[in-house]
Amino acid sequence: MKFRCEREVLVEALATAGRAVSNRGGTLTALTGIRAELVGDRLTLTGTDLDLTISVELEVSGDGDGVVVLPAKLTSDIVRAFGEGKVEVTVGDEEAEIVSGAATFTVLLLAPEGFPVQKPSEAEAVNVPAKSFATAVKKVVRAASRDETRSVALTGVLMASEDGGLRLVATDSYRLALSDLPGVSLLEESAQVIVPARALSELVRLIGNSDDTVAVRLDQGTASFSLGAKQITTRLIEAEYPNYRGLIPASQPNRLTVGREALLEAVRRVALMVQSTPTPIRLVSTSEQLELMAITPDRGEAREGLDAQYEGEDLTVAFNPEYLLDGLDATQGDEVTLQTVDGLKPALLRSNDDEGFLYLLMPVRVS
Amino acid sequence: MSPPGAGGTRTVLHVDMDAFYVSVELLRRPELRGRPVVVGGDGARGVVAAASYEARAFGVFSAMSSVRARQLCPHAVFLAGDHALYSQVSARVMAIFREYTPLVEPLSLDEAFLDVSGVRRLHGSGATIAATIRTRVLHEEGLGCCVGVASSKFVAKLASKAAKPVAARSGTRAGRGVVVVEPGNEVVFVQRLPVGALWGVGPATLERLGRLGISTVAELAAVPLPHIVGAVGRASGTHLHQLAHAIDDRPVEPESTPKSVSHEETYANDVTSSTDLRREIVRQSDAVAGRLRRQGLAGRTVQLKVRFSDFRTISRSNTVSGGLDTGPAIAREAKALLDKVDVAGGVRLLGVAVTGLSEERSRQLTFDDPGPDWSDASRAVDEIRDRFGDTAIGPAAAATERGLKLTRRGAQQWGPADP
Repeated sequence: MKFRCEREVLVEALATAGRAVSNRGGTLTALTGIRAELVGDRLTLTGTDLDLTISVELEVSGDGDGVVVLPAKLTSDIVRAFGEGKVEVTVGDEEAEIVSGAATFTVLLLAPEGFPVQKPSEAEAVNVPAKSFATAVKKVVRAASRDETRSVALTGVLMASEDGGLRLVATDSYRLALSDLPGVSLLEESAQVIVPARALSELVRLIGNSDDTVAVRLDQGTASFSLGAKQITTRLIEAEYPNYRGLIPASQPNRLTVGREALLEAVRRVALMVQSTPTPIRLVSTSEQLELMAITPDRGEAREGLDAQYEGEDLTVAFNPEYLLDGLDATQGDEVTLQTVDGLKPALLRSNDDEGFLYLLMPVRVS
Repeated sequence: MSPPGAGGTRTVLHVDMDAFYVSVELLRRPELRGRPVVVGGDGARGVVAAASYEARAFGVFSAMSSVRARQLCPHAVFLAGDHALYSQVSARVMAIFREYTPLVEPLSLDEAFLDVSGVRRLHGSGATIAATIRTRVLHEEGLGCCVGVASSKFVAKLASKAAKPVAARSGTRAGRGVVVVEPGNEVVFVQRLPVGALWGVGPATLERLGRLGISTVAELAAVPLPHIVGAVGRASGTHLHQLAHAIDDRPVEPESTPKSVSHEETYANDVTSSTDLRREIVRQSDAVAGRLRRQGLAGRTVQLKVRFSDFRTISRSNTVSGGLDTGPAIAREAKALLDKVDVAGGVRLLGVAVTGLSEERSRQLTFDDPGPDWSDASRAVDEIRDRFGDTAIGPAAAATERGLKLTRRGAQQWGPADP
């Protein structure tokens, strides 16, 4: 087994597949490797940590089919360190010779036992426009929880069929982001799955600026997403997703309308005073104006007034500035509305220019 | 000779009010001046909180049972005590201290440590500040106090004791008022005292040291550390060894976060009904929660203390994940603890404490938080009490035919009134 290709192409493919490679390895040494399979002139590189698998196909000039497991980090480092030009990999029984220009590396192979081999999914693919899917995922994925000890379900993004379209929901119990993709019928009516947020983040990265379509296959507890020559497969989260519908208030008495960009920048500035959570920033809304305030007893304070329209009673609500920024960042449009009940109930952030999206945020209780 | 605290050494003042509660009472009842006066609980289970020097001459001292005090000094005037008044006066006295240094660590209503190391240039030597404070407290509040000046808290406290007036039947002998232990003289000063004067030496330790033939601090200082440790244990032994050599580098800590907030109550008659005990828990939890909120604190551990009629005392505790600062939340934990205690034999004393305190100024709410809850209700209760007084509102369990019977801080410090 022997193949040759441009350094650039190989570096990128190794990096992409390498993102799924477990850093720890655990008991399976094979999992610290990248599986390379050559069939004719097609080389497939695959990295996995058992939960998440990323594979990339690339065109090479191949000589002799075969399968080996290369040490992921070492191989990647070596190829990256080469100068521009061709790289040639020749695989022996126990080692691979990697040559570029006058440099020759001989790398010991990993035992392939334990490296899971995926059968291609037989489920029918649903094609989804990559760009709008990536946009919707990006808007919600930050709201997913990173704390597996609290709730595994919340570390995922809920994908559910809704009105013939696809709905994505993520929450870490402090805020919730919901994004609707009308017309994308990925799931059967009333079906839903929980996809690990990490897999979707990798997918967004893979999609980049691509205008292509993503082929999605749901099959026996896994989801796979194919984009051209790249594929991400992930184990689905088998858990009950909390009832998010009950959290979204039907109507709220107070309504603040403010320029999104202006608020975003003001929050960033005022949040400079915030040293550590749970020090919040306060939004003081009156009919005249909106004032942002951050008070940190041992640092000082910041205040900034903003032009805004406000209907409702004078109200102060405090938020974790990071969560508010995430929401403002995810919302599209020039103006946003923030609807509130009081300082203790969820606030709803939306934009008229971003119909399918909402961001629900719990305040910080201040005394 | 250099003044205390010159160079690198610290200057610590220990200010101790003279017969504080009694002196405050005498200010509003001057006709009692010169007579033996005892402040404390006057019920059968009452305890003496303070005794005038005239009463002390008869052997009455604080923490003694009121019954015993009456036997020793039957002609003394017994006063019930007014904790709220003492608190007010104490706050004014502490405010005087704080004009000299921000480093004021109150130990109780009537004593405090002051670190004046940094303000000597501004206000003069430790001895000067001590004298000024004494004069001001006397002129502005009409109260006497004694001040010990030394390079550590421990020696300063012993020095203030040496400055105290001495009670005798023939009349009170004025003390020195201010005692300064100059740097370098601490060891000499400490070592002429009996070991019992050392902080942390109780009857049991005293007896163990006695078996080693140690009765003075000088004798203690002469014994190698391992021998002391062998007699009284590692922690206690090391501690005593250091004190015997006048070593104490504990800083003066102003406004330290309290370690716990608690209320306990001794009942005039033993309580046997668990319904009554649960009601008591609600009242005490309400009071504990009120004080926590006032200090901007919340605690994670609820502790229940029960003393049975045979004086056997147990303490049970439970720790929860979130900070508690509302009466109902604290009461819920305390009741759960009470459920596991057999109270059939009667309860003499019940106490609720919250520990594991932290400043919880703000908290990120979650979608799981219910809407308005006890935190909001408690905030409203605080506001009502601020405006209309403590008894304007309270838990239903505190309602009696004569209005609300609330647990108040210090209300029962010295034993229950007879029912």
